[in-house]
Amino acid sequence: MNPTNEAIQLEAARALVNALEAGDKEESASQLALLTQTQESDLFHQVGKLTRELHEALNNFNLDNRLADLTANDMPNTRERLNYVIRTTEEAAHKTLSYIDKTLPLASELKQTAEKINASWHRFRMREMTADEFRSMSKEIESYLPSVTSHSDQIHANLSEMMLAQGFQDLTGQVISQVINLVEEVEDNLVRLIKVSGKQKEHNNNANKTVDPIKAEGPQINQENNINVVNNQDEVDDLLSSLGF
Amino acid sequence: MKILIVDDFSTMRRIIKNLLRDLGFNNTVEADDGLTALPILQAGGIDFLVTDWNMPGMQGIDLLKTVRADEKLSSLPVLMVTAETKREQIITAAQAGVNGYIVKPFTAATLKEKIDKIFERIEAQQ
Repeated sequence: MNPTNEAIQLEAARALVNALEAGDKEESASQLALLTQTQESDLFHQVGKLTRELHEALNNFNLDNRLADLTANDMPNTRERLNYVIRTTEEAAHKTLSYIDKTLPLASELKQTAEKINASWHRFRMREMTADEFRSMSKEIESYLPSVTSHSDQIHANLSEMMLAQGFQDLTGQVISQVINLVEEVEDNLVRLIKVSGKQKEHNNNANKTVDPIKAEGPQINQENNINVVNNQDEVDDLLSSLGF
Repeated sequence: MKILIVDDFSTMRRIIKNLLRDLGFNNTVEADDGLTALPILQAGGIDFLVTDWNMPGMQGIDLLKTVRADEKLSSLPVLMVTAETKREQIITAAQAGVNGYIVKPFTAATLKEKIDKIFERIEAQQ
């Protein structure tokens, strides 16, 4: 009830009492009508306010429908996308590691044979080699040179496979971008929902939240901007040495 | 020297296993979290533990605390290799008795350096 209404009602009430005491029926009826009228206008005001709130709430239902849609359809889809990212990156890492496993022995073999021939060649140049040893070295060189070609071809092929396996970054990068877009949409909808429905709860909930400082969080996405996070191995070592390590 | 590698990602276990092999440690066993690691440790014969932090089941920090609280395992060298980089976490690991802390992504040189350092300290204590 606004102050003007209050003043009008008080005045009407006084006039009503005066009219009743004076026995003026006409005047008392008109003052009583004035009293009810101001009360009614307050009621209309309240009903108007409620109607507006209802209208806003109904409009927000459209928003809720999008959220429901996101929850029912997009979220399970996102779970699949993220599982795909895990699966694809795991496969790519294993593929690369397998080709490394196949390539390292080839490089070692080339190196070992080359070292052996090099030592023999050195003895030959120093004229320390017998004719038999020279023939044996010649045979080794004869079989080594083609093996350099075949091993190099194989190493080249393995490296190409490793390079191809890195294609996972493109594929998973695209999927992750889609997920980021979806998360942004969900966030926008939730923020709008909180604004219209939970203003008073917002503050209380934040106050009650307890934080576990050592809870595992995985890789830090924004570590440069967080002073509570170390940026590299050197900073880990510095921190540990400050603790007496 | 038998080394237990604990990480929930098989790729990371494989990378660590390969790096350890290059450093001359050929005898390694694997577990995918603290809960599967514990029976292997309790069965005996493990000389060195390399563990991740963030794993389902039992996390690396809890595995470390359990190892330090176990009479038979309390002096086992533990190297943590993790993406967890919060200061509180590193301090907590140090207080729980970790012997080395490596943050991912890491290099072969860092792994070698930390392992060498751990063994140097152990030898100095003996």
